[in-house]
Amino acid sequence: MNFLKQRMTTTLLVASLLLVFGSSPAAAADKKVVLVITADASDYILAAGGTIAKMLDAGAEGYLVRVTNDDKDSWDLTPEETARRTREESEQAAKILGFKEVESLGYRAGELGGVSPTELRDRILFYIRLYKPAVLFIPNPYAEYVEVLDRFYVGQAAEDARRAASLSNYQPPFAVVGLETHVTPELYYYAQPFDPRRREAESTATFVPQPKALDIASTFDKKLRAAQALKTINHSTAMRIKDRLESTDRRLPLLDEINEESVNRLVEINIHKLAEIAAKDTEHSQAEEFHYAGVEYQIPSKYLQ
Amino acid sequence: MNRHISVGEKMGTLPSAAYHCSPWLHRPRATRSGLSPIFPRLTTVLCLALLGAVAVSAASIGPLPQGKVPPGKTLMVIQPHHDDHTWQYGFGGLIAKMTAAGYKGIYVRVSNDEKDGGMQNGWGANDKSNYEDAIAATKNLGIGEVISLNWRNDHMSSIPHVELRDQLILLVRKHRPDVVMSYHPWGNYDRNPDHRKVAWAVGSAVWLAGFANVRPDHEKLGLKPHQVPFKYYSQRSDYGRGYHPNIFIELTEEDVARKALSYRLHKIRVSAGAGRHTRELLDARGLKIPELEGLSDEQASERLQEMLMYWTSSQSGQDNGVRYAEVFYFMDEWHGVPGLESYIQQNAVER
Ligand SMILES: [Zn+2]
Repeated sequence: MNFLKQRMTTTLLVASLLLVFGSSPAAAADKKVVLVITADASDYILAAGGTIAKMLDAGAEGYLVRVTNDDKDSWDLTPEETARRTREESEQAAKILGFKEVESLGYRAGELGGVSPTELRDRILFYIRLYKPAVLFIPNPYAEYVEVLDRFYVGQAAEDARRAASLSNYQPPFAVVGLETHVTPELYYYAQPFDPRRREAESTATFVPQPKALDIASTFDKKLRAAQALKTINHSTAMRIKDRLESTDRRLPLLDEINEESVNRLVEINIHKLAEIAAKDTEHSQAEEFHYAGVEYQIPSKYLQ
Repeated sequence: MNRHISVGEKMGTLPSAAYHCSPWLHRPRATRSGLSPIFPRLTTVLCLALLGAVAVSAASIGPLPQGKVPPGKTLMVIQPHHDDHTWQYGFGGLIAKMTAAGYKGIYVRVSNDEKDGGMQNGWGANDKSNYEDAIAATKNLGIGEVISLNWRNDHMSSIPHVELRDQLILLVRKHRPDVVMSYHPWGNYDRNPDHRKVAWAVGSAVWLAGFANVRPDHEKLGLKPHQVPFKYYSQRSDYGRGYHPNIFIELTEEDVARKALSYRLHKIRVSAGAGRHTRELLDARGLKIPELEGLSDEQASERLQEMLMYWTSSQSGQDNGVRYAEVFYFMDEWHGVPGLESYIQQNAVER
């Protein structure tokens, strides 16, 4: 009796989970929606730009939520001017990748440690219910050694938002204005390769995101052009490298003269190397690596048997 | 390190308040040769008695690449408590090496350590005594200045993160360290909230101190942005998932002795009460350490403290093929640009 009851419960649970995933408005729609959450203008491009471009090339509709205004990442520009330029440049970059819209939430860069995590979660939750994505990209909050801590705060809030967006007791007023609950079937955690243990699987009994490397050869050029569009941030990076080298009596010949050409070349070297790092020990020559949680990784394995 | 009793706390046996990080104490002037005959046996007994229930080292350690003293002039150690710089999993050996190599050292002690000591003379007395000990102990390692931020010990979880971070950014811009050392911002299972709070603030401060648009008011004081090129992070590496160190620093006998002495200079670490408490723990399990027989509680705790310092240094050494070592997570100057690191290293030339 108990056994039969257990089997029936299991079957019902699996069926209802699949029903939920399979019947989400996004999945039913013609256009699959890809929603990307990023802390800053550059992180998602460097870590996931090729993969996102590939999905958008294949017909998906892309929305980008950029949480901070990047007002710190410049050289010799005021925060206001930095924010203005970076907003413009991040919109150009997103356009190159094929995004339909960019939502800049305008939080001051570097200050998310002072922002309520619940507030941040609910801002992101709003867009999940609005766009009803089939695929969600978020910064990996479990990646270690990511010094830009905004990425941690955003990753944590976004992960929480994905869960909360599916439950009606979160933000009931949203339902009043037509923003119904939504389950996002596919989740990609992204991060640049700071964490030497990034290829170890996250593992719990019920939720098992898996390391996954994806080929980006076909969209590599788009990714590169998108990264190069972030002129203010790239110039800042180049100046910082030059400054550090000069303070220790060194120089990088490429950066003897910092201009558009040398900065673009620096970005190109970076993007090539990142693709190479992610492709290491895979069948690809240029790749991006993620922790991926698709439907099968969100149903406890005992229920799938 | 202030009441992160790690081992016993996990076993649910040591009180988590009023006592201090560990009950192990130091024997004055002991040397490796003096310790050798009893060292292995003692440490075995200690492990069985007091570490017994702890699952050892989920983090597999070593052999790791060997770290060297990096080029630079100034090192800044930023820790929550008076003694965090030099405990068994701290930086004492590396600090001693760096100051010997010409580095100027600064110790930033974030809390006032008022809880680290008894109640008999009041919290103010604990603050004063621990501050004085911090000066003596860091001086022994070659550090010339202690800056106390005076945040209330064990009340640090509620400090606004950005406020603490900005204090650290100010100090980083003032002193322009080439090296910063602290608890590990991404470490696991450090259950001391002061440690977690400070580590995260340090991680945040070194990330942002180099950006002129962060606290632009500092410019009014003539303080320019400063990128900290080298960071060393540590906590217990053999504790739960701990953290995964990526370098070891080889220590000499003298380095370990110096580190041990610095730890002993924190009087609260070698109190009779701590020795008595350890013996009570052993008694409760029907165990005893013969080498401690006949010693006073204070002498016993000094002896135990030193054993643990040598044992930890020797374990890290063994893992890495040397006699003594410290292990850390080291982030070098190009950590922030993983796609450019090898290119810069291969192509940068002297000016
Ligand atoms: Zn402490």
